[in-house]
Amino acid sequence: MQADRTNTEARAIDWLIRQRDPLFDDWDGFADWLAEDADHAAVFDAVASLDRDLDALPPVDKPSVVTIADAPRRPSRRAWFGGAMAAALVGAVSLSSLGLFGSADRIETLAGEHRTVTLADGSKIEINGASVVEIDKDRPRFARLESGEAMFHVVHRDDDPFVVETGGARIVDLGTAFNVVRRDRQTSVAVSEGIVLYNPDHDNVRLVAGKGIEARDGDRKPPVVKDVDVANVGGWRSGLLVYNGTPLAVVAEDLKRTAGMQVSIAPEASGLSFRGALIIDKNRNRTIADLAALSGTRAERRGDGWILTR
Amino acid sequence: MAFQSKQSMTEPRDRTGAVQGIEGVLLANRDRIVRFLEVRGAGDGAEDLFQDLWMRLTDRRSGPIADPLPYIMRAANNLMLDRYRSARQRELRDKAWGEASATHAPSSETSLISREQLALVETAIAATGERPARIFRCFRVDGLSQRDIASKMGVSLSTVEADLRKVYAALAVIRRQFDAS
Repeated sequence: MQADRTNTEARAIDWLIRQRDPLFDDWDGFADWLAEDADHAAVFDAVASLDRDLDALPPVDKPSVVTIADAPRRPSRRAWFGGAMAAALVGAVSLSSLGLFGSADRIETLAGEHRTVTLADGSKIEINGASVVEIDKDRPRFARLESGEAMFHVVHRDDDPFVVETGGARIVDLGTAFNVVRRDRQTSVAVSEGIVLYNPDHDNVRLVAGKGIEARDGDRKPPVVKDVDVANVGGWRSGLLVYNGTPLAVVAEDLKRTAGMQVSIAPEASGLSFRGALIIDKNRNRTIADLAALSGTRAERRGDGWILTR
Repeated sequence: MAFQSKQSMTEPRDRTGAVQGIEGVLLANRDRIVRFLEVRGAGDGAEDLFQDLWMRLTDRRSGPIADPLPYIMRAANNLMLDRYRSARQRELRDKAWGEASATHAPSSETSLISREQLALVETAIAATGERPARIFRCFRVDGLSQRDIASKMGVSLSTVEADLRKVYAALAVIRRQFDAS
């Protein structure tokens, strides 16, 4: 069914693209296609309707990076300072409630649980699910990402850089928003604002906005700097995960952290990689159906979660 | 606009003649147009919609049409899309009221997607890659033809076509997710 639907959609898209040509005149061919199946008209309407909404796209050929979606979530630096008192209070409250999880400075989130911690200096840490972050009252300019993923919005101080430690690496901010993922023996950093230094003592890799790295523990050489799309840095916060040839296992791990979804990959599908955008839908079945359709796998329920097979 | 003749650029002197022309074409192709409306989703309502289409086309103060039949078919296609969109808009409005959301007062806004959704759409376009996103913008926003885009970007026509398909496919996925939420 999924494949049929995708196929019908692809045909509808072909018609839509052709019809945008003012000289298009194969209306009989179009009518024949519509007549093939009663669903075709509805599928075409849905696609054509979205296409019409695209009239609202800005006309200039700007760089295709958009931050509107993030804007309300990313307060300006001024706003952080303004709310510093309130923020410190929020920080204190959320920290004192952490006693359940162990020491007061250890913040552990459940899969699918997102939490924001505001530090005394106004810096903010947005923590994705299934993650562990340690902070230390005595070291206000320090945080450790034990495992999982977090987005750091750091208030910069020239004389007192903020340091994030993860695995064996140190990430030093130079006034910044950046996302860090700590996976099994692997660290990814992506910068959306400002500059960070990765391991200033040995690798000393400088990352500006729009750059990122992936480093494996025990790598001999400094990690290679790659381009990242600024709009998608920390995309987990808005429920939009964007991938470009990422192994399915990594996508599954992200879905678990971000949405608490248990997705396992059958061995024969483990070599597949995924390209595309996933929205964390309220209806998780949709998210899985999209992942399956876009990665060429089939999704089946398995216990509390899903398994992707080929 | 290319399907209108050059005469439409000047004041149409023989508008009456042009209207008769459209009426003549509507009448001569009545069965074909009704069949199109039928399969386009009108079903039994196709005859009524043919009347709507008639009104739309004969009301319009436009110049003579160079190639009237494709023009009429395009208008019929748009009529059906407009109907779909008004139905969707009512649906969304009812849903908002059903959820007792006072902030979602009905509006005459013609867009069916929110600003946030439009931003997600833009992100999804960007996520298809730099070249597809650029090609798509040239095509959909700047309104260039596929041929012009191919020569401007120095790629083949089939590359342009494939990239457009790819971006639209990504948008179709996003659209389904909007529907679900």
